[in-house]
Amino acid sequence: MSLIDISLTKKQLETREMIRAFAKNVIRPQAMTWDREGGIPDDFLRNMAMMATAMGSNAMRSGLGDEAEKPEDGKKKGGGNLFSVLVAEELAWGDGGLLLNLPGPGLGGPPVRASGTPEQKQRFFGIFKDMSSGPLRWGAYGLTEPAAGSDVAGIRTSCRKDGRHWVLNGRKCYITNGAKASWTVIFATIDPALGRAGHRAFVVEKGTPGFSVGRLEDKMGLRASETAELVLEDCRVPEENLLGGDEKYTSKEGFMTAMKTFDNTRPLVGAMALGIGKAAYDYACDFVKDHYVLTRPVPRYAALAERLARVGRALESARVLTWRAAWMADAGVPNAKEASMSKAAAGQAAIRACIEAIEICGAEGSIATEHQLLEKWFRDIKVYDIFEGTGQIQRIVISKRLIEGLKSF
Amino acid sequence: MISFEPSDDQKLMVESVAQFARTVLRPRLRETERQRALPEDVRRTAHDLGLALVALPERVGGAGLGLVSAVLLEEEIAWGDPAAPFALGGPGAFGIAVTELATPEQATALLAPFTGEGGHDRFAAVAWGETKAAERAGFSTTARRDDDGNFRIDGKKAYVVNAERAETFLVFAQVEAEKGFRGLGAFVVPRTAKGLTVSPRVATLGLDAASFGAIELDDVVVDASARLGAHLDEDAFAAAVVRFFARHALLVAARAVGLSRAAFDVTREYVESRKAFGKPIGHFQAVAFTVADRAMDVDGSRGIVWRAAAAWDAFDRARWGLPNDDPKAPPPPTEQDCLLFTAQAVATAHEGAMRCGDDGVQLHGGAGFMRDYPVEKLMRDAKQLALCTLTAEHADQLATAVTLGLPLDPALVLPTAESQNAFV
Repeated sequence: MSLIDISLTKKQLETREMIRAFAKNVIRPQAMTWDREGGIPDDFLRNMAMMATAMGSNAMRSGLGDEAEKPEDGKKKGGGNLFSVLVAEELAWGDGGLLLNLPGPGLGGPPVRASGTPEQKQRFFGIFKDMSSGPLRWGAYGLTEPAAGSDVAGIRTSCRKDGRHWVLNGRKCYITNGAKASWTVIFATIDPALGRAGHRAFVVEKGTPGFSVGRLEDKMGLRASETAELVLEDCRVPEENLLGGDEKYTSKEGFMTAMKTFDNTRPLVGAMALGIGKAAYDYACDFVKDHYVLTRPVPRYAALAERLARVGRALESARVLTWRAAWMADAGVPNAKEASMSKAAAGQAAIRACIEAIEICGAEGSIATEHQLLEKWFRDIKVYDIFEGTGQIQRIVISKRLIEGLKSF
Repeated sequence: MISFEPSDDQKLMVESVAQFARTVLRPRLRETERQRALPEDVRRTAHDLGLALVALPERVGGAGLGLVSAVLLEEEIAWGDPAAPFALGGPGAFGIAVTELATPEQATALLAPFTGEGGHDRFAAVAWGETKAAERAGFSTTARRDDDGNFRIDGKKAYVVNAERAETFLVFAQVEAEKGFRGLGAFVVPRTAKGLTVSPRVATLGLDAASFGAIELDDVVVDASARLGAHLDEDAFAAAVVRFFARHALLVAARAVGLSRAAFDVTREYVESRKAFGKPIGHFQAVAFTVADRAMDVDGSRGIVWRAAAAWDAFDRARWGLPNDDPKAPPPPTEQDCLLFTAQAVATAHEGAMRCGDDGVQLHGGAGFMRDYPVEKLMRDAKQLALCTLTAEHADQLATAVTLGLPLDPALVLPTAESQNAFV
């Protein structure tokens, strides 16, 4: 399709309407309870999983373990990424924590899909197949450490070969679904002095000796989503769990595995941020209509109107950037810069939306009830400019692709 | 169907206009600034490229390419010289205004002079603004119907783009005083009309090759057929005026995107070549992050301008019964959707352009302040451009009024002395 057009198809519009109604009538009423209880009940998640399968939504299904069936190059599905960002925005409009809770490989999926051997894909994605009747399962992604987050090259978790096993030592932190995950993609290094070339990625299964869950984090927001510390103490991982096998690591591949994850997921995270930002924006618009006098000129009206409009247009502009990044992914065009732009713009716009919305609503905006979620969105949104690459990291990615000869700072 | 890929036709047009911008407009940027006009050969080339009526539909004699194509080309021209879109021959804002306000027959007749030979030398203008708010709501300029059925127009109109060059004006005047901005009429007045005086153009901060001026009307008599929109009722006329402003403002927003990209491009080149502390300044994070932020302004503005343009094109296809070869096309957007996207695009693009100009000069350091480099001109042009048609402030008021379903009060959402004036 080649003709500039930035509007949704009939089917996309219908799907969006359907999910929006679901988010409003089913997700929203439970959001505050999930936030307070720190999780979402399994039976609800199972229903979500079945619904996702029925709808064929990638955003949800990427949770569901049919990764192995996707074409290798990810190009042939046409519209998959775009559809995902549309769905993700609407679900996040309902509740930001829900998407992160959906069963399936989660962020662990992309590196396994990108770098795993056929046997590994079969093994690690296979466990998600029968979740409609069997137990729910999750995958996770373990890169960040207490002393290295954005500086991926600086990870210190060590790995050394010992017979037919690798022995891992270190700590991983802020791992989404880390405690309940059946397996986690863990990044480690054979020698920190080698930098990226020393990196190895492993799929470490729950129950592996020496692999344990440390603390569960107590967070500002997104409290319905589990965030765990993972501890590796002389953890013996079978050699067949080295992601991609030995030959993958002759170059910088280990590090590239880590990065491949983000090109696909950043627009998705951007879309989730927009969903929360739009929730706050919609709330503020309704609040202004319901509570303030707009039929006769009040001095504050023009200022309010400008604030609302600024929020609305920043969200819309970021939304188009998100659509563009997803559209490029669907077309099989490299999109690292555009993916970073979409996430940086969306994160900022959405944070701004939540801050402004609270100010516009005044005292009422800060009151938390099961029907007043604005303060929750304010708590939830901040991390969207932090996880999967802070806004600053996005600017590093972007500027390296804009400025000639810029390799590092 | 979301697609960010121009069609083959669009690519060809964009490439030829980009080449014109690169090889003709940009090299003469300072020359045209000093001359405060585009030379005849440049205007003739643009006219031969068919640029004057690109944004206008076929039903009034325009190119019928749609607004997406129009914003693509506006961006390219403005990249070459942000003043050029105002200074090339053609009907300009007048063309959009008559498309919305006149019958197709009236509009076709009024726009015909701009299509053929000599069109590069013809300009038209919209006389909307006034320097002072009237005692009552509405304009001080009045149009009274006399005993012969003619209209007699009296008053002063200001902030008129190309006043000095125009051979035809569309003058907005108060017909029914008690109705405020709902009591306006629009009148086609030839420059040669008795009683019409064009003031000398004013000197401005930027966009020197454009021309900004004013006119005075002293008992100017036009016959009843000069009134446009007489076939529309009060609501329809008011809506058409808002559409005129929105659609023209969207084209101006596309110019702001072109300006942003121009400032971005020259700044990127500069930070790649200028060395300090042993390396290109672009390799320092404070500089590189600024470059990244401005790139997001350029891309974000362009995307949202495209979104609005695509919405208008779908809206136009539906309202004018034009064929649509996309079987998956959703129901057309409403006029309110189009206005909302446009308002968002206008404010986003102007603020982005101002930041690109400002940071462009900043990253050039002292050199940026010197006229040896184009970037100081782009910064001045960015502010001047933001004061054309709809400002970001009007656009934001318009967006919120549409979002909340409030009536569109011209005193708030259009440039008037009651809120903030703009060049139209």
